[in-house]
Amino acid sequence: MSKQEYARSKEGSNIGKIVVDRDLCIGAASCVAVSGETWELDNENKAVVTNAGAGANAADDATLMMSAQSCPTKAILLFDKEGKQVFPK
Amino acid sequence: MQNFKYLMIGGGVAGTTAAETLRQHDKDGSIAIVSDEPRMYSRIMLSKPNFFLGKIPFDNVWLREEKWYIENKIEFIGDSLATKLDTKNKTVELNNGKVLQYEKLLLATGGEARPWPLEGSNKKGICYLRDLSEAKELIENVKTAKQAIAIGSGFVSFEMCEMMRLAGLEVTLIMREPYYWYPLLDEESAKMIEKALTEGGVKILRESEVSEILGDERIEGVILKNGEKIDCQLALIGIGLVCNLDWLKEEGIEINRGILSNEYLETNISDIYTAGDVAEFNYLVLGERVQLGNWVNAQMQGRTAANNMLASSSAEASAGQSKKEFKMVSFYTCIGFGLNIAMSGDVRVKSQPSHEATAGKVECRVIKRGSPESGSFIRIIVDCNDEIIGATFINRTGDLMPINKLIEFNFKVTSHESELSDINFDLKTLLHK
Repeated sequence: MSKQEYARSKEGSNIGKIVVDRDLCIGAASCVAVSGETWELDNENKAVVTNAGAGANAADDATLMMSAQSCPTKAILLFDKEGKQVFPK
Repeated sequence: MQNFKYLMIGGGVAGTTAAETLRQHDKDGSIAIVSDEPRMYSRIMLSKPNFFLGKIPFDNVWLREEKWYIENKIEFIGDSLATKLDTKNKTVELNNGKVLQYEKLLLATGGEARPWPLEGSNKKGICYLRDLSEAKELIENVKTAKQAIAIGSGFVSFEMCEMMRLAGLEVTLIMREPYYWYPLLDEESAKMIEKALTEGGVKILRESEVSEILGDERIEGVILKNGEKIDCQLALIGIGLVCNLDWLKEEGIEINRGILSNEYLETNISDIYTAGDVAEFNYLVLGERVQLGNWVNAQMQGRTAANNMLASSSAEASAGQSKKEFKMVSFYTCIGFGLNIAMSGDVRVKSQPSHEATAGKVECRVIKRGSPESGSFIRIIVDCNDEIIGATFINRTGDLMPINKLIEFNFKVTSHESELSDINFDLKTLLHK
């Protein structure tokens, strides 16, 4: 599976879906450094959302956005509630 | 003369993250970045085979669009080098003669690939991998070479060996050390890596050094100290990093291999900070002054430095920021030849002074988790205070974050050794103890 999707249902959030492109992810873990409550590495050295996806609701929008922006390969994609990609633009 | 409230020298991940953090908290203060590159790009992507082999489009390397700088009111002064610092008048002169004045200055100038210290090392086909122009040169050389050598046993050589093999080259790895990544890795872990390299078609020459480079304008081969001759049209040199600090020497900034700073990333000169690969800082996690060259470290130091620049600014600009120490547990990961490898914290297994006056020195000890035979192996390094100080990981990066937390929280290993060594035990459960 090259793209892993996580639904986000955090109240008041404008982000409805998080996607990790596993082919692009190189396990640099900058996302983990920015938001350890949202991200961890798996044993294949790829970023995954913590607690089997439940961590998708852990961070506020600004922190989640910063964690995606920190990725050196743009492997994290964020979508709004209507399904429109908000990062990378 | 232009005056900036915040001036970053260096537009890599440390300088850019700092500028971004400053703008988040100070909406109006003027910010500029001076960089010798066109804009911020992903240096970490340069060593990834997928990038080299065109599987990732070249344009993906750019991490900030030009409009990002405009939208964030960050003046980007590209293709420029800082050449002179005047700490008394708080100015920086650039190579084009332009002089900039600063209120707060961040030195995040990074480093350059350490040159191969041999006669003839300027021949064509001898490549490094530190910046975009070097990456482009390497891409061109990979297209025409049939045989290559890689010098050094670290992350860059490992990833580049894979890239060159995927490109169909015959590759010989030449290293001075008795085994790969010595002395940061143990022999057992190194053998796993060397096995993967060998099975991937790389010939490894241990305890070997090049004594002569052959060829006229272009490298045609090398002669080793033992007299062996190796034909090659490409040499990839990965023997470390050096920082250009000459321009700072006259101004009283304390330097060593890097720019010296305390745990707040403040240099000895007021209002001047440092971050990233160039910072030689007081690292609270290890209790010593170190220089760390990796992406996440640079990114998080950029944030800390910016936070501390804000904290020392006027009350309205500081927006309630207070000074913070940099104390992230540093780590690095890489992938290649079917292995994923990571190191975190202090991986040097060494003698440490004992707190017992009569005991002299005490060795760190190592807890093994998994095994080389099983293909998944972690070494957890424990100091004489019974605390985890570092770890190396092969094919087990899922344990990286829990172990980093245990390092950060000064977790006492006592009575948990069997759990730590049990590969089936979930380390996250220890975080709640």
